[in-house]
Amino acid sequence: MVQILDIILPIFTLVIAALLTIPVFRIIRKQGRHKTALTMSWFLVVFLIAGVTVANLALTYFSTANPAPLNLALDGSASTAVSSSFLVDALSIYMAIIIVAVSAVVMVYSVFFVDSNERPSDRYFAIMLILTAALLGAVLAGDLLTFFIFWEAATAAAAFIMMYRKNAFSLNATLKYLIMVIIASAFVLFGLSIVYGITGSLNYNALREALNASTLVASDKNLLIIAFVFIAAGYAIEAAIVPFHFWLPDAYTAAPAPSAAFLSALVDQGSYYILIRILLYIIIPTGPNQVLNWTLMLAFLASMTMVIGNVFALIQNDVKRLIAYICVADVGYNLVAITSVTSLGLAGNLYFFLIGGLTTALAFMVIGIINNYGIRTLSDFAGIGKKMPLVSIALVVAGLSFAGVPPLGGFIAKYLVFTAAIQAQLGWLAVIGVLTSILQTAYIFRLINVMYAKKPKDETPIKENKRILIPVFILVAAIFILGLFPNIVLQLLQPATQQLSALIPAI
Amino acid sequence: MTLPILLAVFAIPTISIPFVYFAGKKSPKLAAMFVALIALINIMLVLSTVPEILNSTKHQYLESYTWIPTIINTRFSLFLDGISASIALISLVLIFVAALFSVNYMAGKKNLPSYYALLCMLSVGLVGVFLTSNLLLFYFCWELMLVPAYFIVGEWGYRNSYKSAFKLFIFTHAGAVFVLLGIGAVYWLTNGQTDMIAAQTALLTASPEIVKWVLVAFTAGFAVKMAVFPVHLWLPDAHSEAPAPMSALLSGVIISAGAYAIIRISFGVVFPSVGVAFGTSFLEALAIVGVITAFFGSFLALVATDIKRLIAYSSIAHMGYIMFGLSLFPVALADNNPVLLVTASAIAVVGTVLHIVTHAVSKGLFFLTAGGVMHQTEERDINKMGGLASKMPFATVSGTIAALSIAGAPPLACFISEFLIFVGAIQIINITGGLSSFYIIPTALMLIATVFSLAYSLRFISKVFLGTSKDEAVPEEGHKDATEHVKEESHKIVDVPNYMKVSLAILVVLVVLIGIYPTFFINLIKTVTFGGLS
Repeated sequence: MVQILDIILPIFTLVIAALLTIPVFRIIRKQGRHKTALTMSWFLVVFLIAGVTVANLALTYFSTANPAPLNLALDGSASTAVSSSFLVDALSIYMAIIIVAVSAVVMVYSVFFVDSNERPSDRYFAIMLILTAALLGAVLAGDLLTFFIFWEAATAAAAFIMMYRKNAFSLNATLKYLIMVIIASAFVLFGLSIVYGITGSLNYNALREALNASTLVASDKNLLIIAFVFIAAGYAIEAAIVPFHFWLPDAYTAAPAPSAAFLSALVDQGSYYILIRILLYIIIPTGPNQVLNWTLMLAFLASMTMVIGNVFALIQNDVKRLIAYICVADVGYNLVAITSVTSLGLAGNLYFFLIGGLTTALAFMVIGIINNYGIRTLSDFAGIGKKMPLVSIALVVAGLSFAGVPPLGGFIAKYLVFTAAIQAQLGWLAVIGVLTSILQTAYIFRLINVMYAKKPKDETPIKENKRILIPVFILVAAIFILGLFPNIVLQLLQPATQQLSALIPAI
Repeated sequence: MTLPILLAVFAIPTISIPFVYFAGKKSPKLAAMFVALIALINIMLVLSTVPEILNSTKHQYLESYTWIPTIINTRFSLFLDGISASIALISLVLIFVAALFSVNYMAGKKNLPSYYALLCMLSVGLVGVFLTSNLLLFYFCWELMLVPAYFIVGEWGYRNSYKSAFKLFIFTHAGAVFVLLGIGAVYWLTNGQTDMIAAQTALLTASPEIVKWVLVAFTAGFAVKMAVFPVHLWLPDAHSEAPAPMSALLSGVIISAGAYAIIRISFGVVFPSVGVAFGTSFLEALAIVGVITAFFGSFLALVATDIKRLIAYSSIAHMGYIMFGLSLFPVALADNNPVLLVTASAIAVVGTVLHIVTHAVSKGLFFLTAGGVMHQTEERDINKMGGLASKMPFATVSGTIAALSIAGAPPLACFISEFLIFVGAIQIINITGGLSSFYIIPTALMLIATVFSLAYSLRFISKVFLGTSKDEAVPEEGHKDATEHVKEESHKIVDVPNYMKVSLAILVVLVVLIGIYPTFFINLIKTVTFGGLS
């Protein structure tokens, strides 16, 4: 039986670890040698403990067969009406697992990437740990207020790690990001206040029942729906759906590589998570408990996002910005999966979270390594295939996974998403998705072409730093394995799809 | 409990990829032998399933393993029937021969361990396509062929090789994603079924309106791979700029995989569920596309001057033949009766599949000979060649046999298959209304097209092998300096080296053998049933 302690422990552990990071770094700096090894072992210990706590949560929850979603208030009582509560169901546990796993790998990369001798780096790592903790809290939240609190913490942390380098470009991008967050939060708060005023609760389950309650007057119900549209719009802005995506390319390009990897792999997935919660769990689009059929509008937004993301990526010269625009396009693919309200759609969505996150993290990591040698634009990349063979292989794998070529994970993700769209009778959306995929393949291959076919600008050999390739190749192996044996992950997310079909019987 | 023979055919090349790479680091010849050995083992394994195909009642060899049981419920199903066994055998032979040929052809080039490892990876996808009966696994192998093809063509190819490789990838991938859409639609229409055999029966209850689009999506995607007109744009560049062993594989087998996929998936899974009216018009459209492609390819081959481009255009022409043969295919299904290919109305099908096999062998031989000639003379333009018959007798014999087989001359391989296609066409004309049949004009046009293929084959032979060689030509007045310059530059042209000789010899023997005794393959192909579970 899951206790409140099981839920709070992972979050708590990471926050304590974040606070402890600063004195630990001071101690490490005093050592003469093995600084990187010590830093690495500190973080591995932290993530081991965090992993154990999350595993404990997962195992306790799944110890019963067919567990139901569990809503726990802070005082430990299980109730569905309380605001300020945590929700444990298969979806949150899946998100928690991938958050801890992916952040561990990105953290290992950051240790190699960021020089731990620099003064603010201890705060950088501490803030990263806090970001992970906040995201964990956000996915385990049981009501909109708790989610809001943790999410704001996460965006604040994200802003800090974005502007780590403190140059003009980073500050500019961070400012844009913060303004976006403030505007989006304003929308969300406005909606939340209306919702609380009408229903008296912000709990997910309570809201779902309130929207369907027969005691609700029609005018109240319409006001509620408008309020929810505000909330969804606020989070949509944070998810970088077109036309609110303008902050993302600047933010991801300005952020140092580990931050960009973190942001694209985890913070993005958090924003999709809340969209799933609001759109699928509260504003149920089909079936006997239907509230509002938002599928067509979201499908339109999804198609715009895919097209604009890919078209803008086509014209980019700076490779990091190109990957950032691919992230925008990935938002579109995730939205296609959300729009297809089928169990295959949810499975595709959750699978895309993991694989999309892994692939963008891998891409940003590799670009970060290459950028360190001053190689930035497409023409700079000429001949990299020969000069830095291992790094290029990793980038080719990331590119092929983006393009959706078997046997990499990206293919299974896109297959699930497009089949779900066809199954939901949104065939036109699948066709647009497929056409934009072809476009994506084109510009990714332009990059690969430049890397291998063109002669390098100068013949200076580059010695590849082998240690930093370890986390890179962990991700490469993961993408391969998940492409060949997707069952590993599909088994993890099957309980989530089963719980959703219990909720929406039509799928 | 059946032996995991097909799984071994799949698994052996897959696990060998790193070993091939490390063997290549020691010596490229070792890696080539490794790849050839793997191909040989696979040939033995596939041959061992042939008795069961011929003698069992279902005429199939099935294996099925668990792969993705959750959510999408896809099994790792492998299966061989007469058609896939024939084509799989011939592709394995080509891989074997290409590996042997590469020993001499690629000697001295850089990064050879990667080349052989990529060749091994290519063979996984290539044979896998013919071995699966699950749509998702089929798509896996289909796209798996593309990545090593891209890198082999790009890295070891000739002029602008990466650009040609890019064209190959993007065209084929674009076609493949439409196939993916089709697979998604089949998944939706059959409530989650991705097994080919099961999907076919499940689709019979779906609405023909939607199944029409699925058929179009599938066939369009496969047609891009086949490089018929008007989606042929990638083939001339890709096949002519690829290194010769890769060209042989590309032209011989990889584009035939498109034709196989049309037979197996478009016709085997989807076609029985579209209405008769749409089905008939669809087939007529295929016939028109086939005729146009055959003429287009033949004309361009007739005026080509680059030796490999000429052969690439001839590949387009032969894909036109195969497309024409495919359009004759399921007319027999018009009465919704399952058809055993022994019946008279199905001779066209036997001919088409046999043509896939014979074309693979002949085109492989053609490309490898051209590669050998290029390698020895260091020349690509056929106008600059000539008189090689005295200098390279072995290459001349193999080149002549290849060219004549492509032209369809008896007793070489392609003759019997083209003959069967035409006999089948006349049968179909008989069935579909005699003198008022649609197929009269396409058949007549295809007969004329064979004349053109003979024309470009003879042109090839005469320009490359016959005549006098250029450095023996009498210099004109005032051109003395140029000729002396040429005389100083020209090196001694010798015949192809030993490994190339072996590989060419194997293919020559096969071409002649299949031409005289095609019964082995015809017996295999005849056992297949379409249009219903048996």
